[in-house]
Amino acid sequence: MVFSFIFIMVSEPPGYIEPFLFYGIVISLFLYFSRIPLRFILGRCLIVAPFIFMASLFYPLSSIIGSDFQGFGSYTQEYRIALSIFLKGMFAVILLTLLVSTERFHNLLLGLRKLKMPALLGTISALMYRYIFILTDEALKTSRARDSRTPGKLSMNRLKVYGNQSGMIFLRSMDRSQMIYNSMLSRGFNGEFTGLQEMAMNKKEVVFSVLVILILLAVRITGMSIFSFMSN
Amino acid sequence: MSAGIRIKNLTFSYEKDKPVLNNISLDINSGEKLGIIGPTGSGKSTLLLHLNGILNSGQGSVEIGGIKIVKKNLPEIRRMVGLVFQNPDDQLFNPTVEEDVAFGPLNFGFSREEVEQRVRDALVSMNLEGFEKLVSHHLSLGERKRVALATVLAISPRVIAFDEPFSSLDPEIVMQLINIINNLDATLVIVSQSFLPLLSCCDRIAVLKKGEIMAAGPKKEIIQNKELMKASGMDLSFYRNIYRDYFM
Repeated sequence: MVFSFIFIMVSEPPGYIEPFLFYGIVISLFLYFSRIPLRFILGRCLIVAPFIFMASLFYPLSSIIGSDFQGFGSYTQEYRIALSIFLKGMFAVILLTLLVSTERFHNLLLGLRKLKMPALLGTISALMYRYIFILTDEALKTSRARDSRTPGKLSMNRLKVYGNQSGMIFLRSMDRSQMIYNSMLSRGFNGEFTGLQEMAMNKKEVVFSVLVILILLAVRITGMSIFSFMSN
Repeated sequence: MSAGIRIKNLTFSYEKDKPVLNNISLDINSGEKLGIIGPTGSGKSTLLLHLNGILNSGQGSVEIGGIKIVKKNLPEIRRMVGLVFQNPDDQLFNPTVEEDVAFGPLNFGFSREEVEQRVRDALVSMNLEGFEKLVSHHLSLGERKRVALATVLAISPRVIAFDEPFSSLDPEIVMQLINIINNLDATLVIVSQSFLPLLSCCDRIAVLKKGEIMAAGPKKEIIQNKELMKASGMDLSFYRNIYRDYFM
């Protein structure tokens, strides 16, 4: 449903910002019912916001640079396009943050597999997820070892220690990753993760998802005229 | 059902001209329980990795149940030989205990019903009923060791190779593990530095030093050969003295 939402939203023609009022309301409802702290979502959004903002500026900037400059006030359509790009990006980030925060990574992979994601991508994602924990585990161990022999804070002239520690974390993670891979091979791993659980949706979930997608589609198809009328 | 192991003139090196295993030959009978001892860096773990075809030197040969380990036989070999790694965290990488135990059987193409049955049986045999949905890395070391063994038992291997199964475990868990190992119906190869638990599990012991088998024979014969033990860097008089001082 989330991917359909993003797809429908992103397919809005550039410059149409009115439908985003509706999308915003729907996302706010999702946020409310997910009970995820707004601060957490905003924190994630702030990380990517500058990049999306820069990307959204490209179009109006290229129009301004490519034509005779007639004052900033005469580029209303370009500003609308920039805003629509920005909203698409931010809303997509919020939706994806919501998705990964409310669903276990393992279930996400199962869902993506159901959506015919290539097996190789699924395997890479699963391994990456596993190896992140190894990295953090090794980082924690080496940090403890460093702290146990460091009275107070590490002085500025010994910053080299952090470099050594990073190198060591990398080497140790490589070794452990190799061990895990060996353990997988020893149990017949052939490059594809086969899950025990199948991703199954119950009736309620199917009805809810279909309903939301239909409403979004209706807004997407008919909404343009409604919102055009509103904006006129 | 168990299978015999035949290792013939096996030589392996990670770096050129520095052999970790040097012309090793060893026969392990079907159903036998062999312990491998030796100082750190003697090549014990490297030898275990050859039993499952994870390492394959090309020099010398390893046969499991009469089947030579070559690339085309690897699926069959891995179905026959289960490896239990020293660190259970290296073995457990799935989100739940259930998924980890099912990993092997699913890879070997068992039907979903059979996989579920195998998972249930393996967990029951390790006294891990109710652990199915738990996250592996939240368990205690002893529990993780048992889950790691369950992941292997679910494949019903004919050979099980253990790498340091008793390390970092408290005496009670060691005792549980010894009971479990003694009841396994498979050929066992156990690499361990923990002599006492090893003696409780094995019929025969092989001594490995600098990649070479110094001796292999009945456990009592090997362990009582003071010269051999000393020469292989495994002098046990230290333990004897402790035993004498505190228990006699």
